[in-house]
Amino acid sequence: MDSSLIHFGHWLQNRPFALAIAGSDWAYPFVQATHFTGLSLWVGTNVAVDLNLLGVGKKSAPPLQLSDTLFIWNWIGFGIAVIGGFLLFSVSAETYLSNIAFLTKLAMLIPLGLALHIVIQRKAPTWEKSSQTSSVAKFAGFTELLLWLCVVTAAVLIPYVG
Amino acid sequence: MLLHLCRWLQDNSFIVAINGTSWTAAALEIVHYFSMFILVGSMVVVDLRVLGLVGRRQDATELAGRLFPWIWISFALNFLSGFLMFAGSATSYYRNDVFYDKVVVIVLAIVTNIIVQQRVSGWNRLPAMPASAKVLAAVSIVLWIGAIVAGVEVPALTGVG
Repeated sequence: MDSSLIHFGHWLQNRPFALAIAGSDWAYPFVQATHFTGLSLWVGTNVAVDLNLLGVGKKSAPPLQLSDTLFIWNWIGFGIAVIGGFLLFSVSAETYLSNIAFLTKLAMLIPLGLALHIVIQRKAPTWEKSSQTSSVAKFAGFTELLLWLCVVTAAVLIPYVG
Repeated sequence: MLLHLCRWLQDNSFIVAINGTSWTAAALEIVHYFSMFILVGSMVVVDLRVLGLVGRRQDATELAGRLFPWIWISFALNFLSGFLMFAGSATSYYRNDVFYDKVVVIVLAIVTNIIVQQRVSGWNRLPAMPASAKVLAAVSIVLWIGAIVAGVEVPALTGVG
């Protein structure tokens, strides 16, 4: 692993805030809970839009404009998840930066998921209006669903491969 | 009696195998986390709609009607994966106060889900969401965040999980 990256990890985990979280009984689980709460909002709203694009649970009623409806809370969830995630990362940055599951999650899966999510968010208002779901919309929704499942998989695997 | 049941569960060969094999143990965790995110995220969106904080142009009955099937499917997956992980260390969860707290908070949260699901179309026909509905929705959000906090506190405070 690149030594400057490890150097950065070492520096980060020795910042006062990182040491404070690591040294406190309540702070670490509290930060974990923050990360998971943010993720619930982010993943929950993403999956709602993806399933809507896939036409799951669709009835004859006028299609729901879920992407617009959920836009603000979607990004609030992402913000909370990133803040919590960064704090969890800073507690043992050096270890995370040499963990292949973490690096795959952060450097590959999350950027891919984010890029696709932004594309979906731009197209969704048009896609959601049409009563006949296009195969492009279905493919995009399915792929995003799969990508976030991969992100969770990589995250769970961090202690398994470390 | 209960402890005997826990021991029997924990020694069951299927439970031993599923928790003792690393890829199935990881799969249980992945299902548990992913379904939890969908369950909590979707329910909080319904609660926020009742509170008037999400998509007021979106009909509350339709939004709830679309989200509740996913909420219950996620809950089923979450419960199943959670039960299988519990079973793997059942005797350690027995008399684990924090785990009991977690279960109580989740049961209460589920009760709020059921009430919101049954009442939302009635509230939606009123000129405005009644105050009692908003209180219930706020309690529901607090309980679901509480379930997450309790969930992370089980390993943090008791070392189990």
